[in-house]
Amino acid sequence: MNTSRTSKTLLASALAALLIAGTGCSSKAEEDKPADAADGVRTGPGVTDDRIRLGALTDLTGPYATLGKSIVQAQQMWADETNAAGGICGRKVEIVVEDHGYDVQKAVTAYADLSTDVVALPQVIGSPVVAALIDDIERDQLLTFPQAWAASLLGKDPVQVLGTTYDVDMIAAVDFLTRTKGLKKGDTIGHVYFEGDYGANALEGSTWAAERAGLKIVDQKIKATDTDLSAQVSALREAGVKAVLISAGPAQTASLAGVAASRGLQVPIVSSAPGFAPQLMKTPAAKALEAMLHVVSAAPAVSSDLPGVKKMVASYEKKFPGSPVDSGVLSGYNAAQLLGADLKKACEAGSLTREDVVKTHRSQKNADTGLGTPQNFSDVNRPASVSTYVLKPDAKAVGGIVVAEEAHVAPGIEEYLNS
Amino acid sequence: MTGFLDHLLNGLALGAVYALVALGFVVIFKASGVLNFAHGSLLLLGGYLTAVLHDDLGFVGALAAAVVVTALVAGAMDRLLLRGGDRDPRAAHVQTIVTIGVDIVLVTDLARRIGGDLLTTGDPWGDSVTRLGSVTVADSRLAAIAVSAVVIGAVFALFRYTAWGLSLRAASEDLEAAALMGVRLTRVRMLAWCLAGALAALAAVFLAAFPAPGLERTTGQIALKAFPAAILGGMASPPGALAGSLLIGLTEALVAGYQSELHVLGEGFGDVAPYAVMVLVLLVRPTGLFGAKGAVRV
Repeated sequence: MNTSRTSKTLLASALAALLIAGTGCSSKAEEDKPADAADGVRTGPGVTDDRIRLGALTDLTGPYATLGKSIVQAQQMWADETNAAGGICGRKVEIVVEDHGYDVQKAVTAYADLSTDVVALPQVIGSPVVAALIDDIERDQLLTFPQAWAASLLGKDPVQVLGTTYDVDMIAAVDFLTRTKGLKKGDTIGHVYFEGDYGANALEGSTWAAERAGLKIVDQKIKATDTDLSAQVSALREAGVKAVLISAGPAQTASLAGVAASRGLQVPIVSSAPGFAPQLMKTPAAKALEAMLHVVSAAPAVSSDLPGVKKMVASYEKKFPGSPVDSGVLSGYNAAQLLGADLKKACEAGSLTREDVVKTHRSQKNADTGLGTPQNFSDVNRPASVSTYVLKPDAKAVGGIVVAEEAHVAPGIEEYLNS
Repeated sequence: MTGFLDHLLNGLALGAVYALVALGFVVIFKASGVLNFAHGSLLLLGGYLTAVLHDDLGFVGALAAAVVVTALVAGAMDRLLLRGGDRDPRAAHVQTIVTIGVDIVLVTDLARRIGGDLLTTGDPWGDSVTRLGSVTVADSRLAAIAVSAVVIGAVFALFRYTAWGLSLRAASEDLEAAALMGVRLTRVRMLAWCLAGALAALAAVFLAAFPAPGLERTTGQIALKAFPAAILGGMASPPGALAGSLLIGLTEALVAGYQSELHVLGEGFGDVAPYAVMVLVLLVRPTGLFGAKGAVRV
């Protein structure tokens, strides 16, 4: 009767496990009820009398490890600065960092672990990660700033895409080409893009803008592992493109520019913001990039003259000497500052519960951190900003890139958003 | 027409590099019956070593060092982790799984070291190109074709004319008989692993060279593209690996080049094309292009 004994033991342990899990849940539920702290501010999960806990779901070991490290360091710097100035709402700010290595399964586990005891997430890396968590985030009303800019992430109250979405960037890119590079009706442009949300959303924008301008788009879909774009360049040259858009990673941008230059396809290339990294300026493609590439971005270059950016870059270089100053530093620091402003305002209104933090956030119509253009968070279905910078690689500049055109709203964007 | 020639040359160059990788798969499979899933990480190791050493040793020195070290690591992998399979042919399956584990360990560590960087190997070709009529081709690709041809020729000669080659061929025919005839299986095996490691390190340099922007943490994954090449060539056949690699390289370049014309086949057809070709070939010739017919006495 060995089997029956085994199954009894199994049953007993399963029951015990359930019991433990059950008590765990109930005690947590009581903890999570909003309560008034000693200073009269209503608090919920993640906020105690003396500290505010924030969470970061980042990638420190996967494909976006460099970006993840930059954002983590920049936000830690913000937390240190904030705490040195007395914290927020009389409380110290603390950021709990969990690494998911760009693995959705790990991210889901990390979220479950993290979400019970934080009030907001100033950083979540990866479109697939955000997509997997979006329902949980909505249920938990956990204000989240994803480091992803697909338009599919709009429309959820607690999820805030900062700046422009990929489609808006590409509309601005097409505008840049027709305005300054002499592209006219009937011309063909190529668009090389990653499979997935990022590329699809970018292509949506470029297709719309091309149609509006009477241009024809030749699209080339690639994967993150495609780093030799020779075949794509041959095909684009065959198609007689007058310019190329690219919405991929830095490695692909470098290969595209390098191959195009070497094959005599001397056309302007415009990339989405994630397609550039300072490391590119040390590859053999640097010269081609300087000659041909522009980047459309909602954020200015880190070498920008904006006083806020200059101050941040100086402190970052002092605190983390040797770390590259890339766009992640700027976007991470910006996100943290915006969240800090939300928390301050929510505290003044007397509540730091998650729901009230989200509500306060959505009431901000002109949030300006001095690190770029002001943002409007009040319409959940619209990008927070529609004005974009045009940047240009420059090996000598901090972050390998400089501002070529100041922030402006490209024509047609309102029409696109209302269509 | 220019486009077609362009694609053709791209494909040949790609195929030549894949051949170096696929040949590694085949040599290991022939000698030990193991499918080496750690081949991609060996490749990454070779590329990484070349990249970090070229400042001090110069390109040729760094490459030589990388080739030797990768060969030794591959050999050590066989000796230390995959022991005990010499007598029991079934152990090959277990060892194949072990290589997956080794791959994870190696790749994780190398990815940590490389981070988000794009490493250059300091190769002498840079971004220079050669014009052949209306077609432009990167010098690094021409070098890849030339070097692959020489190296693959040398490996074939090794198989054909050396005692080790004879032993290897004997061992892959019949392990037991070979052992009885005095073939030192352990040494034959280890040398095969070393050779495969060396080939992988060499391939890494060409995969990181110009049309690609440099060596990244994901470069090793390209080795997986040589997998269908080795399989459709017949897994145990070196000429098969060569033919399979060229076929896969050409398929990939042509499918990517004519992507817009191939839209009818659905988005992302380029990713599946190598495997589609593999399946088609296997449907017609189940043992691969040059695979041995499995004769079984009944």
